Amino acid sequence: MKNNSVYANDIATQQSEAWVREMLEPDQLSSAKHTVGLLKLTGKMVVLLWGLRVYVVLMVVMIGLQIWNTLHAGS
Amino acid sequence: MNNSDFSVNVDTDPMEGATPGGITPEDIKRARDRWSVRTAREKGRKRPWNLLWLLIGPGILVMLGENDGPSMISYAQTGATYGIGFFIPFILFTFGMAFVVQEMTVRLGAATKRGHAELIYTRFGRFWGFFALADLVFLNLLTLVTEFIAIRAGLGFFGVPPVLAVLGGFLLVMGATLGQRYWTWERITLGFAVFNLIFVPVAIMVHPVAGQVVRSFLTWGPLPGGVNAVFILLIMSNIGATVTPWMLFFQQSAVVDKGMTGADIKLGRIDTALGAILAATAAIATLLAAAPLFNHHIQASNFQGADFAQALVPLVGKVAASLFAIGIFEAGLVAAITISTSSAYAFGEVMDQAHSLNSGLREAWRFYGALLAAAGIAGVLVLIPHAPLVFIVLIVNVIAVLAMPPAIVFLILLVNDREIMGEYANGRLANFLGIAVTVLLVLAGLIYGLTTVFPQLLNLKL
Repeated sequence: MKNNSVYANDIATQQSEAWVREMLEPDQLSSAKHTVGLLKLTGKMVVLLWGLRVYVVLMVVMIGLQIWNTLHAGS
Repeated sequence: MNNSDFSVNVDTDPMEGATPGGITPEDIKRARDRWSVRTAREKGRKRPWNLLWLLIGPGILVMLGENDGPSMISYAQTGATYGIGFFIPFILFTFGMAFVVQEMTVRLGAATKRGHAELIYTRFGRFWGFFALADLVFLNLLTLVTEFIAIRAGLGFFGVPPVLAVLGGFLLVMGATLGQRYWTWERITLGFAVFNLIFVPVAIMVHPVAGQVVRSFLTWGPLPGGVNAVFILLIMSNIGATVTPWMLFFQQSAVVDKGMTGADIKLGRIDTALGAILAATAAIATLLAAAPLFNHHIQASNFQGADFAQALVPLVGKVAASLFAIGIFEAGLVAAITISTSSAYAFGEVMDQAHSLNSGLREAWRFYGALLAAAGIAGVLVLIPHAPLVFIVLIVNVIAVLAMPPAIVFLILLVNDREIMGEYANGRLANFLGIAVTVLLVLAGLIYGLTTVFPQLLNLKL
């Protein structure tokens, strides 16, 4: 009886697995999400990304200075 | 085999619930959603609306989520400052730009089945990924603070104490996730988001002159005060604030979590367009609702959320003012839900943890923990006595605009990456529109940032 029960569960699990695999595309499965490799960045891309990063840092520093000046002007 | 034939217990942790073949409870729940979509698609000719109903969600949520507390207050300030005129068609234009950008995230998610943060990490490496994530986390936290300010302000109109308002908002954010099911979360949040349109009846109740509204669309005017430096700043800040980084991360991750595939891209576009139309309608209605303040020459430049509702009481009555306050509360709540979820998605994707609203609490406790921590920290910050809340509201828009250029450049690079996008990569038209919007956003960011940092530039008369 116990063996029959285990067997029945195995069949159900296999059916369920097959059904899930039928419903989902292969790369939608949780276990299949790590197949994308690193992009080879061109020189232009690196310059663009660094330029944008420098832009953000500079702007943040300038805003920080402005906040500092505003706070000191008020005190 | 049909949807009811499952014997796998989806409420156990992955070790107990996963099948020997590695199928997780998350997969099973997503498969059920896909089964519904497949069935609806097979019956599509008889019931086309059923398929649309199943696939709408990420686009509407991201657009109505962008109509957040600060945005609605900004639209109200625009209405109170400029009345009915130029900014009505301009709002429609900005949501057109938002559509161009967000449509790319639909294709990215459907084609790669990966969230935005995960894709940046895996394609550009941890170094660049760290910067993108740091920008997002910092900005999301600040933006979440502004959403809880809106929640507090909206409920404050009805006399709800700040602690109860913030606690209520937090519990609603938490409640939306309790189903541990993406579909349930999405429908609950959509239910809340519909209330963004509450500004429409308010706009009708203030009796705007229909001819003026139509004329504004046809002539992009009038523009009281003409073109001056302040106007340029307002234009640039509006453009720059139209698309914010959390929107890119949220919609792509939501598309993946919903299980959308290449076959769903067309309806994903409709979902996004529908969201843009609904959000633009609510935004224009908010402008119209606050226009009586312009007509009565009421100075509203320093108004916060509940101030508008209070100021409208003698002009349009208590009912319309109450609806306005409910709208501000709703705007904050929906954005709090979507932005905290975008933070959690990005955290889970980068930390390689379970990061799906289809995951159970035990298997994805870090994901749900990050979601609630983001909302909880923002809620607590709002309650700190003498916290510079007005300052935070002002500064968050500046930082959002500054952070946008790097985020949108990552998006453009990814959506042109044929290795991962295949047939769904940007074509010429999409690239033209995408790059045009990118250039506009970068310029807006630069001008907005410079004029904020150097306010003396405002003295330049054009």
